[in-house]
Amino acid sequence: MSRKINVAIKRQYDQSSGSQWEKFSVDYEPGMNMTTVLQRIAAQPVTSEGKDSTPVAYDACCLEEVCGACSMLINGKVRQACSALVDNLLEDKPDQITLEPMSKFPVVRDLVVDRSFMYNALKKVRAWVPVDGYFDRGAGPKMSPHEQEDMYPLTTCMTCGCCVEACPQINERSNFIGPQAISQGVLFNEHPVGKFEEDERMEALAGAGGIADCGNAQNCVKVCPKNIPLTRSIAKAGKMATKHAFKRFFGS
Amino acid sequence: MAAETAEKQSFAVRHHFLLRRLHSLSGIVPVGVFLIMHLTVNASINVGADVFEENVERIHALGPLLIPVEIVGIFIPILFHALLGFQIWFSGQPNTGAYSYGGNFRYMLQRVTGGIAFVFILYHLWHMHWLGNSFGGGFFDHRPGAAASTAAEAMQMSIWAIPVSVLYAIGVIASVYHFSNGIWTSLITWGITVGPSSQRIAGYACAMFGIVLGLVGLSSVRGFAKFDANATTETASHADSVDSNETLETQAG
Repeated sequence: MSRKINVAIKRQYDQSSGSQWEKFSVDYEPGMNMTTVLQRIAAQPVTSEGKDSTPVAYDACCLEEVCGACSMLINGKVRQACSALVDNLLEDKPDQITLEPMSKFPVVRDLVVDRSFMYNALKKVRAWVPVDGYFDRGAGPKMSPHEQEDMYPLTTCMTCGCCVEACPQINERSNFIGPQAISQGVLFNEHPVGKFEEDERMEALAGAGGIADCGNAQNCVKVCPKNIPLTRSIAKAGKMATKHAFKRFFGS
Repeated sequence: MAAETAEKQSFAVRHHFLLRRLHSLSGIVPVGVFLIMHLTVNASINVGADVFEENVERIHALGPLLIPVEIVGIFIPILFHALLGFQIWFSGQPNTGAYSYGGNFRYMLQRVTGGIAFVFILYHLWHMHWLGNSFGGGFFDHRPGAAASTAAEAMQMSIWAIPVSVLYAIGVIASVYHFSNGIWTSLITWGITVGPSSQRIAGYACAMFGIVLGLVGLSSVRGFAKFDANATTETASHADSVDSNETLETQAG
């Protein structure tokens, strides 16, 4: 009677086990997104063949594409499950929707991945402003509205992993830190207080695994759900690295 | 041996940034500049054999200096660029299947054309450069009166005429694509084109440049493929002697 949606999910019990596909059928509801689909499966974990299964593990939090927790491969492409509307997905591919965990991160279970890689990359580029907060140092340096406008989009990064997943330069054979970390490094280099640590950041950005490993495929900017101008950040980082290298070569 | 490799790796890691920037630079100066010169000089065959031979003569006016200039200015940069290039190629994981964006295809093509260009250059050296002499190749003779005809003879060897021309066309297209797209990426690498609009404009400019240089290159391939080497008896007899030399060498080998 009711319309069914076919969902194939690549499942994996834990980090060390192999993966296998499992198919589920879920009742169609108008306006549902992929998180809803996963909730329905969790409520009734029975496969399309009628076999009892376990709820599919997945991450989700904000349900409005600002936290980045629910990134996964939907029909082979990386995006957030919460903003992936079933109606649109069925328009592209009516017979079946596929879900897989992101391939560039270790799988914790099913669709849940461990994104420590990205946090470690943020540590490498020191993506923060060092303020200890013990003393009131008065008002900080002023920023022009123009600078603020330039920097604001970079602050919307939610470390979701889309750019890392889509980047051909990130894989087991490379040490590339990825577009997100480069963009955050640029953000804090341009911050009036953060720029005091520019040299330390540039050591990572102009080192092995840094900006030089970008291959300019520019997939990052295409898949970024927040439309962060990642390629602009990358080119800026290239410019900063050029200056840094000349400074180091002639200055010391 | 193992210790030596470990040291080499750490050298590569320590100077990662410098090596990558030298890679970017070497593709443009001197290799890219040489490509422009090489293709335009060769295209002058379409103006006339005498013009082409004059241009070749101008290069060989360097005399004994030509060999060191070639080694330092062309061979070492190309080899450096190619070796690091292959390493870059193998450190990537193309994914145009899932992410079929224009930029991603250009990324993939940049690697493939680089590989094609490198293999083609090896063949081209065997075919036309005196380095190929010891391997039954090196059919080109730079001397005036012989340059145009020997180059044309080399392109028109009986049943190989069409395959060799096609091979040259592929080699030229791959090299020119690799160079033009390489200019586009190097402008980003060095932080010259930062924003998306400047990158787009640079993209059009590089595409135009590539199309023009590609046509220049293809016209030189066509020029030599169509050039009548037997038009003058002098050049014809010379070409014959080269041919017989080649036969002798092959028999001896």
